[in-house]
Amino acid sequence: MPFRELSAKLVEARVAPGERLFSQRGAMVGYRGEVRFTPSIQGGQGGWMSMIGRRVANEATPLMTVEGQGTVLFGHGGHHVEVVELDGQTLCVEADRLLAFDGSLQQGTLFLGRDGGVRGMVRGQISGQGLFTTTLSGHGSAAVMAHGGIIQLPIAPGRPVHVDPQAYVAHFGDVRNKLTTALGWRELVGRGSGEAFQLELSGEGMVFVQASEEKL
Amino acid sequence: MARFRLEGSKVLAVTLAGGGDVVKAKNGAMVAYDGEMTFKKLTGGGDGLRGMVTRRLTGEQMEVMQVKGQGTCFFADRASDISLVRLNGEKLHVEASNLLCTEGGLRTGTTFTGLRGASQGNGLFTTTVEGTGLAAVLSDGPAVLLRVSSGMPLQVDPGAYVAHQGDLRQSFQSGVNFRTVLGEGSGESFQVRFEGEGVVYVQPSERNTLGGDL
Repeated sequence: MPFRELSAKLVEARVAPGERLFSQRGAMVGYRGEVRFTPSIQGGQGGWMSMIGRRVANEATPLMTVEGQGTVLFGHGGHHVEVVELDGQTLCVEADRLLAFDGSLQQGTLFLGRDGGVRGMVRGQISGQGLFTTTLSGHGSAAVMAHGGIIQLPIAPGRPVHVDPQAYVAHFGDVRNKLTTALGWRELVGRGSGEAFQLELSGEGMVFVQASEEKL
Repeated sequence: MARFRLEGSKVLAVTLAGGGDVVKAKNGAMVAYDGEMTFKKLTGGGDGLRGMVTRRLTGEQMEVMQVKGQGTCFFADRASDISLVRLNGEKLHVEASNLLCTEGGLRTGTTFTGLRGASQGNGLFTTTVEGTGLAAVLSDGPAVLLRVSSGMPLQVDPGAYVAHQGDLRQSFQSGVNFRTVLGEGSGESFQVRFEGEGVVYVQPSERNTLGGDL
């Protein structure tokens, strides 16, 4: 696996000839060896059609391709970084939270409306995810950014996890999500507990939650 | 009884057994939970009508919610570090904005602090926590515990003060001189002095305070 966490906020990636990495543009803080950085105009993999898809979905974060031989350090904005190893699962994450990922991972966009129709779209709006989210699948690893540390919560059948939409970072596995509301008369008179909306994640997998309710 | 556990240094996990098991937490600080939980805002900081009026008058308002249920609830606030403080009948003084979570058995109230409060930019009053149980205190960066014993007073920057515990007298001291007046101050013109026996929690960061620029 090419990623190694050097500290809570810095990851080291190893690149070898014939392999490539994608990273957020400008996130390199140092490197050793012969490494080339080329802006990826298409913003990732999958050719021009995928690029158009990402542009339309507003999931097009400027990316660069990293190739060559050596090691590269990545860090961005002092945010905490967590390396996620994927072994055939699909990771759902916002494009702007993705610091770097293996070229061997398949990148895609997911329409949230597909997972719950109109409710899915409302969920996307409230959690600040928009109508689309980025998916990564296959074998490899990805570095995900969050404000504050990340905790991983396992989701098991019959044990759903509820997450504050603002603290939600990413999830993987066979997970269904649903927006639940706990609106009562208190919220209507402006005396709410601040926890009126929650994302309920059920199924089997893992959810990543950050120790803050701020966006990146 | 509620069980408190730290997940890393920035997330507090509280396991509740259900029934009458409750904790009080800062409004909106929940980041995730499993099991069944209900959140109810306590008007006026949860100290009853008298407490509410006092908090309104003193400006030491707290947005507190009551968390009840069965399962594990995770709390965090703007990536601040968390310290757990165990109380066995003592009184903990803490700024309302730095209090993340308290066990159901703890009582909260307000006390007058004098001039210190004004220099900290927190007003003239501070929040107290009393009783037996655990309280979770927030700090910007990991908090340092500084011990104060008789004959060994401690001076603290008002902007870095988080909380204190024990039998402590506090006084306010200033080192304003002609340099400060000329705008060449060292930025350390005001300090809080603690004397007696106890501990003071200090954060490795300074809030913007009234005296901070002098």
